[in-house]
Amino acid sequence: MSLFWTVIRHLAEIEAMATSKKVITREEWEKRLNDVKVRKEDMNKLVMNFLVTEGYVEAAEKFRLESGTEPDIDLATITDRMAVKKAVQCGNMEDAIEKVNDLNPEILDTNPQLFFHLQQQRLIELIRNGKIEEALEFAQEELAPRGEENQSFLDELERTVALLAFEDVTNCPVGELLDISQRLKTASEVNAAILTSQSHEKDPKLPSLLKMLIWAQNQLDEKAAYPRINNLSTGALEDPTV
Amino acid sequence: MDQNQFANELISSYFLQQWRHCSQTLTLTPSNPGTESDSTRPDSEYEDEREECPTELDTLNSSGGFSVVGPDKLSVLYPNVNLHGHDVGVVRANCAAPSKRLLYYFEMYVKNAGAKGQIAIGFITSAFKVRRHPGWEANSYGYRGDDGLLYRGCGKGESFGPMCPTGDTKYTTGDTIGGGINYAAQEFFFTKNGVVVGTVYKDVRGPVIPTVAVHSQGEEVTVNFGKDPFVFDIKAYEAEQRANQQEKIEYISIPVDASHGLVRSYLQHYGYEGTLELFDMASKNTVPPISLVPENGFNEEDMYAMSQRRTLRQLIRRGEIDETFAKLREWYPQIVQDDTSSICFLLHAQKFIELVRVGKLEEAVLFGRTEFEKFKRLSEFDDLVKDCSALLAYEQPDKSSVGYVLRESQRELVADAINAIILSTNPNVKDAKCCLQSRLERLLRQLTACFLEKRYLNGGDGEAFQLRRILNSGKKG
Repeated sequence: MSLFWTVIRHLAEIEAMATSKKVITREEWEKRLNDVKVRKEDMNKLVMNFLVTEGYVEAAEKFRLESGTEPDIDLATITDRMAVKKAVQCGNMEDAIEKVNDLNPEILDTNPQLFFHLQQQRLIELIRNGKIEEALEFAQEELAPRGEENQSFLDELERTVALLAFEDVTNCPVGELLDISQRLKTASEVNAAILTSQSHEKDPKLPSLLKMLIWAQNQLDEKAAYPRINNLSTGALEDPTV
Repeated sequence: MDQNQFANELISSYFLQQWRHCSQTLTLTPSNPGTESDSTRPDSEYEDEREECPTELDTLNSSGGFSVVGPDKLSVLYPNVNLHGHDVGVVRANCAAPSKRLLYYFEMYVKNAGAKGQIAIGFITSAFKVRRHPGWEANSYGYRGDDGLLYRGCGKGESFGPMCPTGDTKYTTGDTIGGGINYAAQEFFFTKNGVVVGTVYKDVRGPVIPTVAVHSQGEEVTVNFGKDPFVFDIKAYEAEQRANQQEKIEYISIPVDASHGLVRSYLQHYGYEGTLELFDMASKNTVPPISLVPENGFNEEDMYAMSQRRTLRQLIRRGEIDETFAKLREWYPQIVQDDTSSICFLLHAQKFIELVRVGKLEEAVLFGRTEFEKFKRLSEFDDLVKDCSALLAYEQPDKSSVGYVLRESQRELVADAINAIILSTNPNVKDAKCCLQSRLERLLRQLTACFLEKRYLNGGDGEAFQLRRILNSGKKG
């Protein structure tokens, strides 16, 4: 075949591909959905994984009884983990650090960044409570030496101490440190570290699967028009737009 | 048939269908004595994906005469002096590389580079003319030793380019060379002594066959289709590829409370009332509290007959079928009104199974005779009756080929069927089909169907979505 015809054929193929996206009707698609096998047992595990990872310990225990699904972690460890998380969320940092160390001292030993963030949160709480002198002392004695080891720690420390320079901290440039979201950030960091130390994944699998659904639909969109699920909270199939 | 019966039949036949699926996939794999729970059993969905894998070299379709395949069918030697370019000793694997997966990989060890070291590794299609180097013909791909170049579809090689970390891509005696396919990225990749040399886009769809070639006197290679450990760390490579893909997926944003709402609706759908109560209570106390009222309002519909559904599920899970019948007659007489309906069959069959489980075989026989007799004229249940009655033939029925009916999952199936039928008695339910699946299940089905369709449009390349694999990922050991 001459080069000319090869090129012509190739162009024709490209054109065909661009214009003819495969169309799958609702009826055909529903047939395919029907052929899919989903095991109840696996869905139960998925739900259990969510309850356990997110720390719903009582619900997880009940779900074990009601569904016969075994959790993939010792439920007692969830209670301890949630106690640490709660302490951080409430700003009881000394309590939180003590509890982490009771759980497993290696967590903070092997995770200097986490330890720094917990100490930083402790400093923030001192400032929030107006304990200025105590805050300064704590910053100089506990946090500054750590800053010497690590430039980013030092930057963070300076940012935090800057809170002391403003009278109206809520409207100052570093005011966000006093926001509840900072506590939640620290809480989720310590939560993740504890899960990792227990050889458990730090995130539940369900949100990733939902993301994967959107991703898979987007991928298939490139090649076919088919009924999509656009609203995760209804799970309704929507007819393909051609 | 009135509307109620119609919904009943629709739902029970759906669950009978699921039972049949279990029967088909599980009767083939009786469990080994003394082992495991349901979860450690080989997964039937995985089995659907089982494909033939290359294990040795093909001595029939390879260019004999120019090369000699050893008796182990894993080594190749070029004994002659080659005369021209068409004297290549090309040897292919005994079958195509499996494609319903993320990666395929095989290796070749160069035992002797011979006179010229004109050795190649690569992939060809079945249409390949077996006397040329892989890569020299259309739809073939090869990586050659003496020049270290990549060949794809013509006799002119190209360098692997900047991708290659080592610089030197040539290979010779003592080197281990690998050829692989990454189906997710649609590309081939080649390795040298455990390091990726480069990748090339796989522009051919459909099956490709692992191939090696020798072309000068004394050249000798041995191939490893995975019987021995690979030099290249394929496990780590696979993890890396998955992580890359996962990173793209994690980038997608979803509503913060989407998972929470989904778990909640799951608990509602199946009547896990106790769990739901504790879940809601805990949700109120989280920081920040999770709003229990979703955007479009609370769907109290899903709370329909919650405590009845919970009670019945518990009875069935404990194997108390008589009590289940009694409760149904009291609460929902319309469901068990017709003694020959599919749902009654499901319950009677379960009663029979429970009798066998506790060893009341005589009672089971009597019960079976009277109850199954009623369904005899309905030949649609024949296969399932057979699975049940076959239990009687074994001394250890739970370890027999029909032992699957004694598993917890069978009770669960019956409980789910009853649950769905009760949901359909809600006067607000317009279409009984809505009661068959939880929202979580609908999403998982959509996800699986998307993966399968994408693979189909991709010429069959790539892995399917396996919930089981995701559940098992991230576990130690």
